[in-house]
Amino acid sequence: MTTAIPKQLKVALNWINSELGNSPDTVTRMFTPSGTDSVSVGVVYIEGLVSMDTVNGRIIHTLMDAPDLGDQKPLNCDGYFRFLKEKVVSVGRIAELSTSEEMLTALLDGYTVLLIDGCTSALAAQTPGGAKRSVEEPSSQTVIRGPKEGFTEDLGTNISLIRRKIKSSKLRFVQFKIGQVTQTDVVVSYIEDIANAKIVDEIQKRLESIDTDSILESGYIEEFIQDRTFTPFPTLLNMERPDSIVGGILEGQIAILVDGTPFVLLAPVTFNRFFQSSEDYYQRFDIASFLRIIRYGSFFVSMLLPSLYIAISTFHQEMLPTTLLISLAAQREGTPFPALVEAFIMELTFEVLREAGVRMPRAIGSAISIVGALVIGQAAVQAGLVSAAMVIVVSFTAISNFVIPSLSMATASRLIRFGMMILGGTFGLFGIMSGLMFLLIHMAGLRSFGIPFLLPISPVSVKNLKDVFIRVPKWAMTTRPRLISDPQSSRRQAPGQKPAPPDADHATGGESE
Amino acid sequence: MAKVTVRSVHPSWKGANNGMERTSTFQLTALIILFQIGSTSLFLLASDADRDAWMATLIAMIAGLALLAFVTLPIQHMEPRKNLVEILKSYLGRYVGTALAFTYILYFCYKSVRNVREYGDLMIIYMLPNTPLFAIMLILVLLSGYAVYQGVEVFFRLTEILLPIILLIYITLIIMLTSSELMDLSRLQPMLEKGIKPVVKAAIPGVISFPFGEMVVFLMLWSFYNGERPMSKVSILSYAFSGLFILITNISIISSLGPLSTVSTMPFMLGTSYLQITELIERMDPFVALLLFAGVFVKQTTYFLAAVLTASTLFKVKRRVMILPIGAVIYIGSFLFQSHMAQVWIGFKYNLKYHFPIFQIAIPILLLLIMHMKKHRMRERL
Repeated sequence: MTTAIPKQLKVALNWINSELGNSPDTVTRMFTPSGTDSVSVGVVYIEGLVSMDTVNGRIIHTLMDAPDLGDQKPLNCDGYFRFLKEKVVSVGRIAELSTSEEMLTALLDGYTVLLIDGCTSALAAQTPGGAKRSVEEPSSQTVIRGPKEGFTEDLGTNISLIRRKIKSSKLRFVQFKIGQVTQTDVVVSYIEDIANAKIVDEIQKRLESIDTDSILESGYIEEFIQDRTFTPFPTLLNMERPDSIVGGILEGQIAILVDGTPFVLLAPVTFNRFFQSSEDYYQRFDIASFLRIIRYGSFFVSMLLPSLYIAISTFHQEMLPTTLLISLAAQREGTPFPALVEAFIMELTFEVLREAGVRMPRAIGSAISIVGALVIGQAAVQAGLVSAAMVIVVSFTAISNFVIPSLSMATASRLIRFGMMILGGTFGLFGIMSGLMFLLIHMAGLRSFGIPFLLPISPVSVKNLKDVFIRVPKWAMTTRPRLISDPQSSRRQAPGQKPAPPDADHATGGESE
Repeated sequence: MAKVTVRSVHPSWKGANNGMERTSTFQLTALIILFQIGSTSLFLLASDADRDAWMATLIAMIAGLALLAFVTLPIQHMEPRKNLVEILKSYLGRYVGTALAFTYILYFCYKSVRNVREYGDLMIIYMLPNTPLFAIMLILVLLSGYAVYQGVEVFFRLTEILLPIILLIYITLIIMLTSSELMDLSRLQPMLEKGIKPVVKAAIPGVISFPFGEMVVFLMLWSFYNGERPMSKVSILSYAFSGLFILITNISIISSLGPLSTVSTMPFMLGTSYLQITELIERMDPFVALLLFAGVFVKQTTYFLAAVLTASTLFKVKRRVMILPIGAVIYIGSFLFQSHMAQVWIGFKYNLKYHFPIFQIAIPILLLLIMHMKKHRMRERL
């Protein structure tokens, strides 16, 4: 359904105004440029979407001061149109529009539309602007060593952040518009020849098939394109840090940027990817490996500790050393609830506190920590409602949860924890083992864009194990992860780059002479 | 070159099941090892031979190896892309083949039943004395059913994750047993006190039937193999590895428990229950029970899967349709035994000696002979 742009300028401007509901932020202006008396030009833009400096300085001002047409007049419509486009409007990106609908889209995208009386085509000049946040340190994924910049809500800025890190002509950005009403820009980014073409196609196909009215955050996209909905595990990674995303792109992963959110998606991902932090690669490899093992451990603690406590204290007391058993028994003696109920109360209380901490206005934030620490920690124990050991278990579980670099994986472990607690409370260690086995079967069956979720571990791929539980030194990682990246370009760097001091006589040679 | 193989192992980009399920070399290795180890450490194999049980195990292992190398594997080799049901049907005719295939469904189900029941009883004896048996067995069957539901490829991948974990724990336990003062190799002396006869008698057919002859189940699974290495070599090496492993477990049980090992219901559990890690963990047996969980689970699921595969090929229905009926048969079947002791007793007295050899030795040998004859006749006709 297209309508031609009305020939008369006034009609056209009125049409735009009425289509946009006479919105106060729509500016329509009509004037006659200098040098001509007969031609009137209309300028339309939406205030908050354009940069006023550009509109005023580069369009309106130049139009007013347009060079004399001299002997070229009188110009016909086309001639004047070309004259404006080539000589007057000094803006980088310009488009010619031929239908009214295109005009509206351009306006809503932040273009300034120029109309000429008597012409059936219009000129759109890109004048991006409007309020946006500057590049700041990411709030959710902080590092000690490494770049401090984070993505912003502005798509253009985010693209530039990636582009600035990969100065390769092979870097691709493919744009989609998703959302019937919101018309959100979504950009898929990858490196040609490194990303697996099959997966790129698959992602593009899935994005194209989304039919919805709105995309407000990358979470919307994630729910539409993930391989399986009914799983606690995320099969797409979201990140706020350009260096992490770029690291992924360089390994053959594909980034999905969504306008309006600093969280960029990365796919396909495997389980181990959720335990990697970009800082792992900036620190020495030994400490990075150590921290990574700590993270895996914390994930299991966060998932299993309360259930193990319940199971062992209810069913398998014989496993504990006698002194510990006695002290636990003494604590548990005064408490009214069975261990399962006690753990549930404490865990739920903690979840409430945590949610309150997120939602609370920052000014009252400190109050909640006092209430939480005092009421839940000390008072509950002193009142004999819960045992001190349970408080320790719950708090350590909570702290472990924050160690996991990816929030979505941390959330998964939070949910699984409750299921495990029920299993541990009803079937003891057998229940927990069954639960773990269930998760393992489930994870072995999961795929992220066709890639097995547990990739380097099952199906086992020894070469890929260099960056899973430990991180080997940079020079030893000669290949990219298999299956994820393009099979033709697995070489990452030249082998045999292990640094070594120069030969002894060569090194001391300078000094002795 | 390696790249190509990895891609061909996972040709399905769009989902778990598009009829192209394939397994790799390491996956087959993992399943064979886990399947063979399975629940063996629950018992003292060949306990009839007393302290010479390990020799009986060794004899049975070698006999089982011969069975594998000269009977089971050749059958698969003659028809590399067919499974047992298809082979039976095409060589023995529609009626005999169908009937035999049907008995194999029962055999696989019964094997699965024994594992479910064994582990259920173990749980009740050692860990959860007040929990009803039906609940524990229900969880076991449901878990297996879920693994079968996910498909052959997922199940193979699962074993791949489990293998390193289980081997690591086993090796730790055995090292702990060896380094503690529990173990004393002199308990193996004197060897062959009553001559070789009772040893051989204990080995054949008892220990061949369990666990070494059980490789017959792989006739349902080998056709999925798509690894780089030759299938027979992989199977035989994995088998030999697990055989040695079972042998070492057997020796460590006898030498740490001595005569006690033949009277205890679960000797390995008993042995490890004497272990202590410097006052920190007083009792290891819950851990051992969990370790056994993985082994038993793999075994019972393999049989479950084999039964489902057999049934779905035989009745020409989708695999997922057969999960519920087979699962129900296994679950109900596991209540047929009066008690744990009755189950073990029936197993060792009758099943191992009279029933299982039919499926593990007799039918495969007959089948191989018929296959050879038919092939021969075909060649003559040409």
